[in-house]
Amino acid sequence: MSKREGRIVTKRILISTFSLLFFLCLISCSDDNNSGDNKKENIQNSVDNPIRFGLSSAPVTLDPLHATDATSSRINRLLYQRLVEFGPDNKPIPGIAVWKQLDNDHYRFFLIKEAQSSQSPITAPHFHHGKKLTAHDVKATYDAILDKTTASPHRNALKHIERIEVIDEQTIDFYLTRPDPLFPSFLAIGIMPEDLIKSGHPFHQKPVGSGQFKFSHWPFDGQLFLRRQSDQQLFEFLKVKSPTVRVLKLLRSELDLIQNNLPPEHITFLKNETRIDFLMQLGANYSYLGFNLQDEDTGKLKLRKAIAYGLDRNKIIQYALGNAAQKANGFFPSRHWAGAQLADYDYDQIRAVALMSELGYSETNRLQLTYKTSSDPFRIRIATIIQSQLKDIFIDMDIRSYDWGTFYGDIKNGKFQLYSLTWVGIKTPDVFKNVFHSESLPPSGANRGRLKNQSIDQMIETAEKEMDLSKQAKLYQRLQEELHQILPYVSLWYEDNIAFFRENIKGYQVSQDGNYDGLTTVSRHLN
Amino acid sequence: MLNYILSRIASAIVVIFGVVFIVFMLIHMVPGDPVEVMLGESATMVDREALRHSLGLDQPLWQQFFYFLQGLVQLDLGHSLHSKQAISELISSRIGPTVELALASLLVAFIIAFPLGILAALKKDQLGDAAAMSFSLLGVSIPNFLMGPLLILLFSVLLGWFPVSGKSGLNSLVLPALTLGTALAAVLSRMIRASLLEILNEDYIRTAKAKGLSSARIIGLHALRNALLPVITLIGLQIGALLAGAVITEIVFSWPGLGQLTIESIQKRDYPVVQACILLISTTYVVVNTLTDIAYGLLDPRIRLG
Repeated sequence: MSKREGRIVTKRILISTFSLLFFLCLISCSDDNNSGDNKKENIQNSVDNPIRFGLSSAPVTLDPLHATDATSSRINRLLYQRLVEFGPDNKPIPGIAVWKQLDNDHYRFFLIKEAQSSQSPITAPHFHHGKKLTAHDVKATYDAILDKTTASPHRNALKHIERIEVIDEQTIDFYLTRPDPLFPSFLAIGIMPEDLIKSGHPFHQKPVGSGQFKFSHWPFDGQLFLRRQSDQQLFEFLKVKSPTVRVLKLLRSELDLIQNNLPPEHITFLKNETRIDFLMQLGANYSYLGFNLQDEDTGKLKLRKAIAYGLDRNKIIQYALGNAAQKANGFFPSRHWAGAQLADYDYDQIRAVALMSELGYSETNRLQLTYKTSSDPFRIRIATIIQSQLKDIFIDMDIRSYDWGTFYGDIKNGKFQLYSLTWVGIKTPDVFKNVFHSESLPPSGANRGRLKNQSIDQMIETAEKEMDLSKQAKLYQRLQEELHQILPYVSLWYEDNIAFFRENIKGYQVSQDGNYDGLTTVSRHLN
Repeated sequence: MLNYILSRIASAIVVIFGVVFIVFMLIHMVPGDPVEVMLGESATMVDREALRHSLGLDQPLWQQFFYFLQGLVQLDLGHSLHSKQAISELISSRIGPTVELALASLLVAFIIAFPLGILAALKKDQLGDAAAMSFSLLGVSIPNFLMGPLLILLFSVLLGWFPVSGKSGLNSLVLPALTLGTALAAVLSRMIRASLLEILNEDYIRTAKAKGLSSARIIGLHALRNALLPVITLIGLQIGALLAGAVITEIVFSWPGLGQLTIESIQKRDYPVVQACILLISTTYVVVNTLTDIAYGLLDPRIRLG
C-alpha cells in the first residue's frame, strides 16, 4: 500500500472518529430528561415534576403484612396509617386510634374520627380507593397477620392476641392470652382495607392504604412513584446503590434528597457544598460487636472486657463515621423510656493489655480471632479498623466477609467468634427476651451469642410481667446494667440520621429512626 | 450440514440443562435460607415451617427441581419468593435495558475498535500503532468501577452532557455504553490488528495490490472480511458476557438490568429468580455460541467435517 493511500485510510478513520464524537454531542443535547435548566424551571412548581428521593436499596414489598426491610417499612409508613405511633422517648402514642386498658389483658381502641395522627394531623380517614377506614379494616388486617397461612413475620409479636372484637365502626377490642403492658407498641402495622384483603388484592405491588401518600406507579423495583394526597405532588423513590453516584446525582439535581448510608468522606464533602443543605438527628439504631459465648476464647469475660477497653470508639466515630454517630453503652440510648445510664468502657489500652496478660497473652503469644462481617465495603472498612486497634492488645483478627445470606446464616448457626451488626428500628424492650434469654437460641430467637445465664433469664421474665411501665423501665434498666457487666455485646454506636438536600428543598425533617415521614411536609421552592 | 446443525443444537440443550441443574443444586447448597431472610429472627418455628411449606421449600430437592422444569415446559417461571412478583414480569422489565445496553456497548466497541485496529495494523510499528495500542492497553487496564465514575465526573459533572445515572432516554445510555464498550473495544482492536496483520501478508492481498485495487477496497473487501472470523468468535463470547457480566456497570449507573437482578436475588436467596436469570443468561450464551459455530460451519466446510 502506498503512503498516499495509507494517509487516505487514516484520514477516513479520523473523520469517522470525529463523527462519532459529534454524534455523542448531539445525543447529549437532545432527549434530555434530566438536564436542561430552562426546561426544569418552567415545570419547577408543577406537581407532576417529581421530588426525587435517592435510596440505597429498593423496597422489597409494599405489603405491610410482609415488609421487614427498612426501606419497605419506611415507604409503607407513607402509604398506610397505623393505630399506634411512637413518641420521642419511644413510648406508644395515638396514631389513628386512642386506647384504654380495660383490664390487664383487654385493650379497647377508638378510631379517631378525623384520623388526626400525631404525625399527620389532616390525614383523610379514607382509603385511597374511597372506602372509609373502620374497625372492620383493623380487625381484617390483624386477623390476616394472625392467620398462619399468611406467614407474616409480625405474627410472633402479636401471638398473645386471643381474639379481636369489633364493637362498632369506630371501636375495637383486643383480648390477650396474658397481660402485656407493651401491647399497644405492637400495633404499629399499616391498616389495610377489609374488602381488598378478602379479595386477595396484590398489596405487595399495588398498595392501597389510607396514608398521606398514594401509590402511583412502580415501573421497576428500583423506581417507585407515590403522590402526596394533600397537594398531589409526585415523589420518585430512586434506588442508586453506589453512594458516590447518589452524591453526584444530588449535585447534578438528578436527585433532590438523599438520606443516610453515606461514607464519611461523602458526608464531609456534602457538608461543605454550598448548594446542598443538610439536617442531622440523633439515631437509635444500635451497632454492636457480638461474641460467641460458647467459644473457648470469646466465652471468657476477661477477653470481652479487654476488647471493650481496647477499642477506641471515639476515633472510629471521628474518622470512619465522619462524627455522624454517638457512642453507645447499651441497646437503647438513655433518652429511650427504658434506656439506662451506663458507665462507659472508655478506651484504655493499658487496662486491655493487662487483662490480656492475665489471660496469658503477650506480644510473642498472640490470640487469633475470626471476625465475620458482610461484604458491604463500609462494614469491611470498620472491621479493618477494629482489626488494627486490637492488634495493639495482642489480638490478631482474621476478617472474613461474606454475602449477606451466608453471613447471616453463619451468625444464626453459631459459626463465628466475633461479628458486628446493627439492630435497626427497635422500639420496645421486649427485644431483650428475643436477644438474651436462654430460650431464644436460634432458630427460636435472636440469642446469637448463645448466652445462657439464669440470672438474666429471671430478670427478663420479671420485667416482662411488670404491668406498670415506669416500674418495668427500672427493671429493664437493671437488666441492662447486668448485661453491661457480662458483655455478651460490646456496644459500639448509634449512627446519626443525616439527610442532604438541594437548597431549594424546604420543610424536610429527619426522624430518630430514619423514616421518611419528613416527606409529608417537604416542598420545592424556586431559587 | 443439517446433521451438523442438529448436533450443535442437541449439545446446546444438554449444556443448558447441565448449567440449570448445577446452579439449582449450588444455590440450594450455599449457606443462607430465604425463609430466615424473609421472616427474620423473631418468627416462630411454626411460622417458618408454614412459610417454607407455602413456598414449597420443604419438599425434597429433586422434587423442587422437577417442578421447576415442569414450570419451564409450561413457560411458567414462577414467582419471586420475596416480592411475590411473577418472574416473567421481573425479567421482562430487566431484559430490555440489558439488551439495549449490550447492543449500545457493542456499537461503541465497533466504532472504537475497528478504526483503532485498522489504524494500528496499517501503521505497524509507527506512532499510530503505538497510540492505538496504548489506548487499547488503557481500556483493558481500567476496571469498569473506575471507568464509570471517571466518565460520570467528566461528561456529567464537569461538562453536564449526560445524566449521572439511571435510565431516562437515549442520552442516559451513552455513559454506561462507553464504559462497557471501551473495555470491549480494547480487546477487539487488538484482535483486529493481529488478524489484519496476518491477512495483509497473504498472497491474495499481494495479488489484489498488483491488480491495482485501491487500499480502501483491499482492506474493506478482502482483508477485513477475512480478518473478521476470529473477531466474530470473540464478539459471540462477549455478547454473553455483556448480558450477564455488566453488574458493576449496572450498579454504578443504576441501570435496571439483568445482572443487578441476578446478584440481588443471589444475596436474598430468591431461588426461583436466580434460576430463571441463570437460565436466561446461559441460554443466551449457548445460543450465541451455537449460532457462531453454525456460521463457522457454513463458512468453513472443514469445521463441519471435523
